[in-house]
Amino acid sequence: MSPDLEVELAGLRLRNPTILASGILGSFYGLMKRVEDAGAGAITTKTVTREPREGYPNPVFVDLGFGYLNAMGLPNPGIREFSVELRRAAREIRIPLIASIGGRNEEEFMDVAGRALDAGCSGIELNLSCPHVSGYGLEIGSDLQLACSIIKAVKSISSKPVFTKISIHQARPDIVSRYLGSGADGVTAINTIRAAAICVESMTPILSNIIGGLSGPCIRPIAVAAIYEIRRELPGVPIIGVGGVDGWRAALELILAGANAVGVGSAIARKDLQIFGEIIEGLRRFLAERGFKSIKELVGYAHRS
Amino acid sequence: MNYRIGKIEGIRTLTKSIKEYEIVLDEPINPEPGQFAMLWIPGVGEIPLSFADAETKRIKFIVARVGKVTGHMHDKLRAGDKVFIRGPLGRGFTRIRGGRALLVAGGYGLAPLYFLSRKLRSMECGVKALLGFKSDDEIFYVKEFEELVETEISVEHGSSGHRGTVLDLFKDVIRVERFNMVYACGREELNLALIRKCLRMGVPVEASFERIMRCGAGICGSCSIEPLGIRVCRDGPVIDGSMIAPMLEAP
Repeated sequence: MSPDLEVELAGLRLRNPTILASGILGSFYGLMKRVEDAGAGAITTKTVTREPREGYPNPVFVDLGFGYLNAMGLPNPGIREFSVELRRAAREIRIPLIASIGGRNEEEFMDVAGRALDAGCSGIELNLSCPHVSGYGLEIGSDLQLACSIIKAVKSISSKPVFTKISIHQARPDIVSRYLGSGADGVTAINTIRAAAICVESMTPILSNIIGGLSGPCIRPIAVAAIYEIRRELPGVPIIGVGGVDGWRAALELILAGANAVGVGSAIARKDLQIFGEIIEGLRRFLAERGFKSIKELVGYAHRS
Repeated sequence: MNYRIGKIEGIRTLTKSIKEYEIVLDEPINPEPGQFAMLWIPGVGEIPLSFADAETKRIKFIVARVGKVTGHMHDKLRAGDKVFIRGPLGRGFTRIRGGRALLVAGGYGLAPLYFLSRKLRSMECGVKALLGFKSDDEIFYVKEFEELVETEISVEHGSSGHRGTVLDLFKDVIRVERFNMVYACGREELNLALIRKCLRMGVPVEASFERIMRCGAGICGSCSIEPLGIRVCRDGPVIDGSMIAPMLEAP
């Protein structure tokens, strides 16, 4: 019998542990449908805010070779317009849809979360960690009290699981347990890391916003450490591991560290949507060769040694 | 770093709002006709441009004044200035071998089709180009096309060529001549109308689409043709007509 890749994540049932990470393609119904067709186990939408946001002007993306740098600036049509896409996606897409929510205060988070839930999302991810947008993300998440009150507020109106997406700075068991204490059902670790690149030829920063977020294989060891430590101290917490998942080995590494599921993001720039199939097949082959029946057996497996 | 350094070799004014830039890169680049590059001018911005021609290190772009970056290019760039190029990106035209190809361009959409016609000619294809312009003073690149392929033009408000839109001209031509492939590049409405007509007639068609692009790598989703989820920067900019078919079912 073929090994079982199904995982359970804070009550969500995923056909396999791959999740489209936030910020990547999850802005329109058609794109999300293609991600489902490519094999993903779940989808996280692009972060949506209460009001529409233009985002930053180009350049917004740099391929560094060893990783990627981006500063899109949370462009989105605002929750009212996005609800139309989300509603259609919730109706026609069978895998869980996690709505990534951004805001500048408790009230905005509540408003956006409420509308996303109305539109039929299966879960919420609170963006408390985007590293390059003033007044959002990490600037909110760095204030532990504010972060906890946002979690509490959103959880009070949500019967669906609420994940907190954290940066490397928040990826500490003591902070994560405060999030859980405030009602979070799980964490997504880690967001991109604040970074910049300067073009030596022009002697200018490349990103229009100067500061962006670093992703890709170069941050994977950082994600592995964060996931490993959270899993070690908080054995029961549902973790979506994100950071440098560019194939099945990388996905497995995060799972062995303790992730229940893994986000796939900027690697799509290199491998396109086929990466989901590649990860799924690779994991299945590995499980079969090593005689495991289910991917669940491998979550946090590295802690045994 | 993912940018190549380009030096502006020459700038030619084609119409009052369109210029041609010849650029020499620090390294050879081998784009397919229909592929594009992101052109970055530090401190100004970054835009997608289809290759109008390319030969090892030498490339050409045809640039219409539409926004901040193109305005800067028109007003400020001079021969000798540096620009930064990321690419080639996206999917280009599928080239037929032998047979007859029809090229249909709306305005500056002729840029990638010029590059294509150069390549098709070397593959023993019969090529006919239909170039559409709004008015007499917006006509450009006709001589360049005529040197390569059989060319007809349409002008909506003017006295040159056929009177009317390039879509009208296309309908007249396709009624009496047979082609193995139609290649199109113009405004989205023109592309969709051409695709619809070709699909009805059973003629294979590819069209190059223009959208505002951000990442250029197929991950940000900004340029998606919805509800099909076709990313113009990655799945395109050249898109096979059959991929668009589900959007055209409604009249």
